[in-house]
Amino acid sequence: MFDSRPDSVKQIVVEGVSHTYRPARGREVLALEDVSLEIAPREFVALLGPSGCGKSTLLYLIGGFLPVEKGAIRIEGRPVGAPGPDRGIVFQHFALFPWKTVRANIRYGLEKMGLPRDEQERRAQAQIEMVGLEGFEDSYPSQLSGGMKQRAALARTLAVDPKMLLMDEPFGALDAQTRGLMQAELLAIWQRRPTTVLFVTHDVQEAVLLAQRVAVMSARPGKIKALVETRLDRSDPHIFRSPAFAEKVDEIWNLVRDEAIKSQ
Amino acid sequence: MLRLAPWISLLALAAAWEIFARSGAVTPFMLPRLSVVLERIGADAASGELWQNLGMTLYRSLLGFMIATTIGILLGFAVTQNRFARWLLDPLVSVGFPMPKIAFLPIITLWLGFHDLSKISMVVFDAVFPVVTATIAATAGVERHLLWSARNLGARPRELLREVVFPAALPQIMTGLQVALPIALIVCIVAEMKMGGIGLGGAMITASRFADSPGVFAGILEIAIAGYVLVKLMALLRRRLLAWHPEAEAPATV
Amino acid sequence: MKYLPLLLLALLWEAIVRFGLVSPDLLPSLSDVLSAAWKLAREGDLWGNGLASLARGGAGLALAVVAGAVLGILMAWWRSVDAFVGPLVEALYPMPKSALIPVTVLWLGFGDGSKILLIFLGCMLPVTLAAYNGARSCEQALVWSARSLGASRLRVLWDVVVPSALPELVNGVRTALALTFVLLVSSELIVARSGLGYLIGFLGEGGVYDAMFAVVLVVAFLGFFADRLYQRATRRVLAWRE
Repeated sequence: MFDSRPDSVKQIVVEGVSHTYRPARGREVLALEDVSLEIAPREFVALLGPSGCGKSTLLYLIGGFLPVEKGAIRIEGRPVGAPGPDRGIVFQHFALFPWKTVRANIRYGLEKMGLPRDEQERRAQAQIEMVGLEGFEDSYPSQLSGGMKQRAALARTLAVDPKMLLMDEPFGALDAQTRGLMQAELLAIWQRRPTTVLFVTHDVQEAVLLAQRVAVMSARPGKIKALVETRLDRSDPHIFRSPAFAEKVDEIWNLVRDEAIKSQ
Repeated sequence: MLRLAPWISLLALAAAWEIFARSGAVTPFMLPRLSVVLERIGADAASGELWQNLGMTLYRSLLGFMIATTIGILLGFAVTQNRFARWLLDPLVSVGFPMPKIAFLPIITLWLGFHDLSKISMVVFDAVFPVVTATIAATAGVERHLLWSARNLGARPRELLREVVFPAALPQIMTGLQVALPIALIVCIVAEMKMGGIGLGGAMITASRFADSPGVFAGILEIAIAGYVLVKLMALLRRRLLAWHPEAEAPATV
Repeated sequence: MKYLPLLLLALLWEAIVRFGLVSPDLLPSLSDVLSAAWKLAREGDLWGNGLASLARGGAGLALAVVAGAVLGILMAWWRSVDAFVGPLVEALYPMPKSALIPVTVLWLGFGDGSKILLIFLGCMLPVTLAAYNGARSCEQALVWSARSLGASRLRVLWDVVVPSALPELVNGVRTALALTFVLLVSSELIVARSGLGYLIGFLGEGGVYDAMFAVVLVVAFLGFFADRLYQRATRRVLAWRE
């Protein structure tokens, strides 16, 4: 199945955004410099770059966790506001509430929405089944493996039906095998229910595998160096062996390599 | 690492005590036999004196502890949420923490007299510091991604303190409480020793004034057991409240 | 400045007494307290008692540190010692050390000896526990590296285990330092004929409250400065920790 055609109306517009970190102690750091990017609804876009290039910072700005000081970010035409369930976020280290069970975690957003109790239960249960965590609903996060934690985090975010998913290196804390499985699952979920996804990663293969477009970022201060369309047939079970895949990875790795060296 | 069960070591220690006391190497005054001391404890229990003293000490120290806990947590939260509170309390806490606050006991008795109020106040004054310090560290250390996730899922900023910060900070706050409890007991006993009267501390100092050696040792055992039980109860409470925590055991200080 | 609130509190103190908001019988003004302190220093009461207190505290703490460190490291190094002594240490830790005040007085009377013994017994436990935890946290890989580089078992203990244990031990001694002040003041308040704690009680009973407040503050700040100095002095040792 080929990637769906995005609508011509842009959902996320980033215009000339710069961001500086001002820590209480130490020097200021210019994390992003004049970044511009447009993302259409239901597009899967990867933000790829070396460590410290500001890709997570861009994600946090879009999510409303950091204030936009220079430039503009518009979500569906309106300036980005405070964090909210329309822009669901998934973190690398899961950020599950350790004192709540899996079920309670997933229900949290639904509680905030003010849904009646049985509706909360129903939707939470649906999510639990969708990510395959049946039997672990009443476990605490400390009792789960890394992959299970990330699935719970994903379920929690999806439960509130966000318009877009902001994913901050979500599989970075998992071992390679689990990572592979989670990538396949994410693709399957996305294909069943296409949502806009902004996926931050430093792994070229992962970016090419998952995203329709890859935004390659430079080393700090981050700028968008290139935007590459992947155009791959993701229904191919042997995609890793296909020449198209290898070529794309190669093409993008060449763009990233210099930046990776610069950030060493 | 193989460890003997605690009661084996304690039993051995008890046996050594009894043997050493009987051996004649020390006078019964210096070290009364364990059997004599235990008899005394039994007599005090039968006469009701033990319960009266123990009850009084526990009442004062636990009440002081709970007041200190409440004040300490509230102040700790205030410091992390409010800039003025931080400016005012930070130096007070960091200067006050290493001070031997028991030195203020005579001032407290000057102001509040010689009854329970002054003893409880002394306990509160001493025990509040570890609670405040732990609460500050705990709330400041809450992962920002947890807060961001909550806001992302629709939590309003004022709900965050109760719904995210407090549960996330609870493990470290509990540790502070576990440090504060023995302090509460120590301070209470010292205050009782100074002021005399009913209470384990008062009973012990009276015993020493009358050269009542078994009485003094009985007091030591009673206090030791009381302290041990309280600490174990706290550990149990911690396990219950923090069942979700990966290291559900008490920290290595006990 | 970080300590500005304290300065303001001091000014507030002076103000509320000066303006009659609080009776000087209950709260002597700060200026009275300071001049009383000066008088005590000049007349020698402060020095005599101060020296007595510090000597006792120092002796007790020094003994506790040496004995505790040795015991703690031995416990960590020799399993047999740990197996027996370990549970004892854990069981005795929660006991309020101040409960030992009457028994030390029974044994050694009202003088220096009872205080030194009290501090020794009370402070040994935290030091032992810290030395033990510190030694145990020494990574096996470090010990094996040293052995493979030719060190004997005893040398490894000295060259590897002790330095590894040092940071934790330093923290344990810091706790013991604070405990020393507490036990010292407690015992001197109750059962002594000299020392700063005794002086506080003596002045209080005599109704000389401004001097009493003065000594209380001296003692409190002694504890504070001792801790700060200790932190300064041991910064080097803790520097290599990540």
